[in-house]
Amino acid sequence: MDRWRRIAKPPILGAVSELPAISLEPNPVIEAYKKDVDRTLIRENLKLTHDERLRKMIAMLEFIEEIRRSSGMKR
Amino acid sequence: MTDFARLLRALVEGGVEFIIIGGVAATAHGSAHVTVDLDLIYRRTADNVARLSAALAPLQPYLRGAPPGLPFVFDVETIKRGLNFTLVTAAGDLDVMGEATGGGTYDALLPRTETRAVFGLDVRFVDLATLIHLKRAAGRPKDLERIAELEAIEDERRAMAAADDD
Repeated sequence: MDRWRRIAKPPILGAVSELPAISLEPNPVIEAYKKDVDRTLIRENLKLTHDERLRKMIAMLEFIEEIRRSSGMKR
Repeated sequence: MTDFARLLRALVEGGVEFIIIGGVAATAHGSAHVTVDLDLIYRRTADNVARLSAALAPLQPYLRGAPPGLPFVFDVETIKRGLNFTLVTAAGDLDVMGEATGGGTYDALLPRTETRAVFGLDVRFVDLATLIHLKRAAGRPKDLERIAELEAIEDERRAMAAADDD
């Protein structure tokens, strides 16, 4: 059970806290990744409702699962 | 595979106060990535902790990755003594957090959420700007590519809004 012992004391029930301030300076790694983002996929997704976006993602997951099953791969 | 609709239905019908963060929130905002688990922030009040425990009980939550047979019960006492739990349930993988990495509790995040209808249920998602904030605050290398995509979504939304104004 030691493995699952909590490390820090959890907040008291009902306690309220604010979001911590963080730096929003451009990160060079993020900026580099941004150049490779496929914006056509994003634009297509933004035409959908939130519900449709989730259903589309689930359909993709099912497709991946089916490929894994058919090729004998495990997650 | 995680049955997101079943998990959300159990939580909503159980009256649990929660906010969706993580990959599912990213998908809802337009991300093209797939995600295999549901991450949520629950409100740490006595009533809500009781509702969370009761809502998930039929789904037999257990610690993900833990050896079988541990005397783990996801009850009110367990939730009170802990904070964030990575669970496996009969409906798939579920991370329930009292506080997001980066410091967001339910009450801190609540003004930064939007309620959307998914699977016939009204659920709260953290808004896009706050999702980016949380991922940046977490500072995990694996999130950098995701943050790039989320910021690109913000750009695209702004461009669409500007086009609508013209």
